[in-house]
Amino acid sequence: MIQQPGVLALLAASALVAAFLALAAGFGLRILRRWDLRSGSDLQLALERETYLVSTLVAFALAAEVVSLFLFVFTADGLHGRFAGAMCAAGTLNAAPGGYATLLLKVADCLLAGVWLVLNHADTRGYDYPLIRVKYALLLVLAPLVWVEAFLAFRYFTGLKAEVITSCCGSLFSQGQGGLAGDLAAWPERTAMAVLAAVLAALFVAGGVFLRTRRGAYAFGLLSGLAFLAGAGSLVSFVSVYIYELPTHHCPFCFIQAEYGHVGYLLYGTLLGGGIAGLGTGALTPFRHRASLAAALPALQRRLVLAALLCFGLFALVVAYRVGTSSLRLGP
Amino acid sequence: MIEVANVTKTYHAGRPNAYTAVDGVSLAVERGKLTVLKGPSGSGKTTLLSLVGCMARPSSGRIHLRGVRTAGLPVPEADGALEITSLPERFLTEIRRATFGFIFQHFNLIKGVSTLENVMLPAYPLGGDPAALRRRAGELLERFGLSRHAREPIDRLSGGEMQRVAIARALVNDPAVIIADEPTAHLDSHLSEAFMALMGTFKEGGRTLLIASHDPLVYDSPLVDATHELRDGRLCAKAPA
Repeated sequence: MIQQPGVLALLAASALVAAFLALAAGFGLRILRRWDLRSGSDLQLALERETYLVSTLVAFALAAEVVSLFLFVFTADGLHGRFAGAMCAAGTLNAAPGGYATLLLKVADCLLAGVWLVLNHADTRGYDYPLIRVKYALLLVLAPLVWVEAFLAFRYFTGLKAEVITSCCGSLFSQGQGGLAGDLAAWPERTAMAVLAAVLAALFVAGGVFLRTRRGAYAFGLLSGLAFLAGAGSLVSFVSVYIYELPTHHCPFCFIQAEYGHVGYLLYGTLLGGGIAGLGTGALTPFRHRASLAAALPALQRRLVLAALLCFGLFALVVAYRVGTSSLRLGP
Repeated sequence: MIEVANVTKTYHAGRPNAYTAVDGVSLAVERGKLTVLKGPSGSGKTTLLSLVGCMARPSSGRIHLRGVRTAGLPVPEADGALEITSLPERFLTEIRRATFGFIFQHFNLIKGVSTLENVMLPAYPLGGDPAALRRRAGELLERFGLSRHAREPIDRLSGGEMQRVAIARALVNDPAVIIADEPTAHLDSHLSEAFMALMGTFKEGGRTLLIASHDPLVYDSPLVDATHELRDGRLCAKAPA
């Protein structure tokens, strides 16, 4: 194991988040089995008091989980100089088993954590804990994923050895590599651009429709998920080559480095923010008719839609700017 | 107006030093009436007042308010009652500010702050127009004969004056219910009678009054509509005054 501050911070954060979620999952089971707001029993009143503490702790833990995604990528990038062959985080993640699995699970956990934070926020707007069962049920889904992620992260970081020779990003994200990375790299540029443009256009139309009519929240949520996937795929498929001005270099990590103005953090941050806000909008929709949320939910959903549109819009602008100002011009 | 249903409050529950201050109390406080909780020290009067006034939560049991309307909080039950003990803190705060005015036994005025500002304090979080608030607080001080002390630090006032400031402070948000805890404990008989006369004017004005006291000048007053006697946290008698 490489005892670097970022690695120690990530392992400590993973352990803390996993521990908090273990405690919260136990409490969540009690909520799902015993919660009855009509009862004035001592158990019910104790659950009402405890849920403040548990929800607050989980909210902080999951916010840390979201932030730790960026620390994970930053740390992996910072470590690449210690491995022969590595040029960026791509090589570091390949230097020990579980690197990419940890990253992908972390991304999924961050999206779910973001949706949980949205549900929790909405729950606190209602006077009768309107989403308490929903948010603890989601927590019971999220907790095992976070535990697996913590295990994978521990296995990955303890497995990192400085003398290991690893593959560089040019090899991992090349068109002939196969697998998801190779398939994304081989995704034709025009097709990828068209898909991204179509998904973003549909998302903005759906957002506009929702803001005007308060209809189509499910479609907006679904399109936000698709925009997240299309955006992530497009970074490998064509955005990367325009940023590097190198038609064969599809690495989704090199552009987080200072050489490229750390633009990767902006691209990934807007994608993640837009994905969470959009998915959160859809996740709230089934509860829009609950009496205690009737006043608060429309305004909250409106803010989420605006946040998602802002994030994806910023993503589209940065992509368009980097593609438009690149010296690289790909042929038909 | 206020219905207390089988409410228990246990401090340090589940520990060796667990103490049940209120034990299975059920009672009703009618709108526009003066209700007194009487009983010796340690009988649970103050704890029950704090539960009714949303300053603490019971260990079990529920409390319902009727006829209370606060922003963002529709009355959810068909009979117009609002169950307050389960409310999340932000809603409870809203009700506490808008519905209740508190007169504490030791006044709980802020030393080093002027009399006028002490009266204005409970209205600050509501974010109203400062000039209008200052005017309202000034009118209350004038009503209680304290205008000349408006700019003075509160700790220069006498006990009786401080209590009148505490009453003015309780009224600054125009609450429907006034809760007073042992209001005459530090007053002589003359000031106690003056206090009860003031409560009479509030009652005539339609306010609901809930007073905890073991002072006969309070619970034997002809103004009292109902008395509930507490002993060891339990309700032991209920008699019309």
